[in-house]
Amino acid sequence: MLRFAAARLALIPPMLLGVSFLVFTMLRLGPGDPALDYLRLSQVPPTDAAIADARAMLGLDRPFVVQYLDWLRQALQGDFGRSYATGRPVLPDLLGYLPATLQLAGTALVVSVGLSLPLGAWAAGHRGGWQDRLVRGIAVLGVSLPNFWVAFLLVAAFSVSLGWLPPMGSGTAFHLVMPALAIGLMSLSVNARLLRASMLETAGARHVLYARLRGLPERAVTRRHVFRNALVPVVTATGMHVGELLGGALVVETIFAWPGVGRYAVSAIYDRDYPVIQCFTLVMTVVFVLCNLAVDLAYAWLDPRIRLGQEGAKWAS
Amino acid sequence: MPKLASLAVAALLAGAVPHLTVTPVAGAEPAGPPLTFSWPTNVGPLNPHLYAPNQMFAQASVYEPLVTIRADGTVGPWLATAWTISQDGRTYDFTLRPGVTFSDGTPFDAAAVKANFDAILANRSRHDWLDLTRQIDRVEVTGPLAVRLVLKAAHDPTLRELALPRPFRFVSPAAMGPGGTTANGIKAPIGTGPWRLIGTRLGISDTFAANPTYWGGKPAFARLVVKVIPDPNTRAIALQTGEVDLVYGAAGQIPSEAFLRLRNQAPAFSAAVSAPLATRVLALNSARVPTDDPAVRRAINHAVDKDTLVRTVLDGLEPRADTLFAPTVPYADVGLTPYRFDRAAAERLLDEAGWARGRDGMRAKAGHPLSLELDFVGTNAQQKAIAEVVQADLARIGIAVRLVGEEESAILARQKDGRFGLIFGETWGPPYDPASFISAMRAPSHADYQAQKGLPDKPAIDATITAALAATDPAERRRLYATLLTTLHEAAVYLPISHAVAMAVHRPTVAGVRFGATLNEIPFAAMRPAGAGR
Repeated sequence: MLRFAAARLALIPPMLLGVSFLVFTMLRLGPGDPALDYLRLSQVPPTDAAIADARAMLGLDRPFVVQYLDWLRQALQGDFGRSYATGRPVLPDLLGYLPATLQLAGTALVVSVGLSLPLGAWAAGHRGGWQDRLVRGIAVLGVSLPNFWVAFLLVAAFSVSLGWLPPMGSGTAFHLVMPALAIGLMSLSVNARLLRASMLETAGARHVLYARLRGLPERAVTRRHVFRNALVPVVTATGMHVGELLGGALVVETIFAWPGVGRYAVSAIYDRDYPVIQCFTLVMTVVFVLCNLAVDLAYAWLDPRIRLGQEGAKWAS
Repeated sequence: MPKLASLAVAALLAGAVPHLTVTPVAGAEPAGPPLTFSWPTNVGPLNPHLYAPNQMFAQASVYEPLVTIRADGTVGPWLATAWTISQDGRTYDFTLRPGVTFSDGTPFDAAAVKANFDAILANRSRHDWLDLTRQIDRVEVTGPLAVRLVLKAAHDPTLRELALPRPFRFVSPAAMGPGGTTANGIKAPIGTGPWRLIGTRLGISDTFAANPTYWGGKPAFARLVVKVIPDPNTRAIALQTGEVDLVYGAAGQIPSEAFLRLRNQAPAFSAAVSAPLATRVLALNSARVPTDDPAVRRAINHAVDKDTLVRTVLDGLEPRADTLFAPTVPYADVGLTPYRFDRAAAERLLDEAGWARGRDGMRAKAGHPLSLELDFVGTNAQQKAIAEVVQADLARIGIAVRLVGEEESAILARQKDGRFGLIFGETWGPPYDPASFISAMRAPSHADYQAQKGLPDKPAIDATITAALAATDPAERRRLYATLLTTLHEAAVYLPISHAVAMAVHRPTVAGVRFGATLNEIPFAAMRPAGAGR
């Protein structure tokens, strides 16, 4: 298990190198001119002299590869440059905004897992009944509605009409409810349906039949033999949803004026604030890889076949 | 494991996240209900002599100018109580207001004024867009409260440019950077104005406190909290639910449908739009086929149904514009005859100029189709909608318009080097209009220059601008402005669309909300809690 984790961690640096080069290249393939973007964001009139100055200052007058290597050298020392828009160093600001985003995405994850498991199990337990149809209906809606629209619907209902929850801002648990729900609804829906299907499939498996034959009470059969085994695909799906939750946070943060990295990044992308976009992509790559690693570890913990390797497989099945 | 999970949840919900704080909140916060406002970004470090990311409304709340623009557009005294201008228009002698101190206790005197001018001029190239920085020769201290400004040549808009939110405002010399400079940052945002910045939380809010040593009328609110809300819809909802008391600024601070909805909910909300501030225009490129033909430019001016455009796309919130500057702008009331909406007249102009309709209904002359390109910022929904209306209106008189939506910097590049047929622009509003705006028409990096470049009398236009800015005799100045504005109007290098306005919406908890003389100065100090006397 340790070796597995170490191998995955060792993959991070080459991956970051590749991502950084890709992003650096792609940004410069666009139709804009970084020098002009810099001047526009600093509110300097773009006279020819000003553009030439900005080119020299930003190093844009040098060959592309030199620019990249120079950026890389500074990045390795933790210096990701200054934002064109705010003039502040990028990395400290980004790391300052990141916890709020992780808090939001983390809450969304907890909400999504915490609600999808009982909903999925409930639907599976009443297969074909109204409970099942209700959960499946919610799931279809949840998958179909884009998160920003869910966010607006929630605000219209709970802030404007009912006045129960603050429509924006941060600071208390109440502020978290609507953004977390808006972000997590998709993952919640997928997981609930997945767990339902997986539980129904597992319920027909032979080990469940044997458990019943051994005279175990139905509750224990469901909990220990059906539910636990049905969780494995849900964990995989959740792992894939981590990216979706973080991506959702980027969009929803702007709507709820949540002081996270998403809003910082979205405005940087609108403004073509190159240093911010580059640093943001790298930081998010690290977060992604770490989240996926955590999911893989959880997966191994849950499924002994993976944890123990091939020879353990025959004992566990 | 369940324990661990619940601990994690508890930590998440407790909001155990340290928020970024830039400026430590100094001392005890003053009591009293704050006035809450919102803005798309933080207000920045508030260096009075620099631009982005400093937000102008905040700079103007903390720092003050020598003279101010009054509501009627005239110049009035502020930190200077009186001034005299020499006969040749080159020397300005200012008498400073006695008893004024910066909020750190440093006296505001002639030495402080000179220190600020020196810091601004040390970074002269940064302020190159503003004529006055190029015109100032030197600043002299002529007494403890007397300052002399010497120009290289007479420059009529001097007082108006001194009133701008930046750069000619004053920071405490004690708060300047090393060597009395401000170009690379200041130690603290210390001004003489009614507000002090006391705290900034990145991405969340900025907090101002009333300046207890302010020389003028003290703000009725003890604090001003500016919440960071990037999304206009969210801002409207925040106002509706009481998260903010006031929305104020250029159209677009909240969506126009939200403005109309809130206006209909009076007296729960008070909503108002200001008098015309600036003009939205399309610049027509006179140096490019087919807009190099004056008949085409005039036909375009006759062909667009602006009343319908204003009523539909702009929700009727902005008045129609007929001229580059509204007649209320200084020197701009020169009796120009608007190009009225008249499709027949437009068709006649094109027919006479030899642009004949083809079988597909589109016009052409000598094999060249009458088609042009309209460039707009692709993410700007309003520009896109206006562009589509213009496209449809011009198609009806046989002009094919190709819409090109690009990112902002690409559009900026087009304005700069003249790669456009029609392109969006906007005048700068008071106090920049008309002087600073026409001054910029002489710079090749402006769309106005590019649009006018093809006019045979462009050199004469530039000479008229230079003469108008240098004229010391008001009658002569008036005559030169009339010549210039008439020439531009008759050349039809602009298609004026509407006059931009500011909007203000507030909850009944706030009273005394009125529009300032310029878009960038928000008169927070005049606002007061409802019920409180003034």
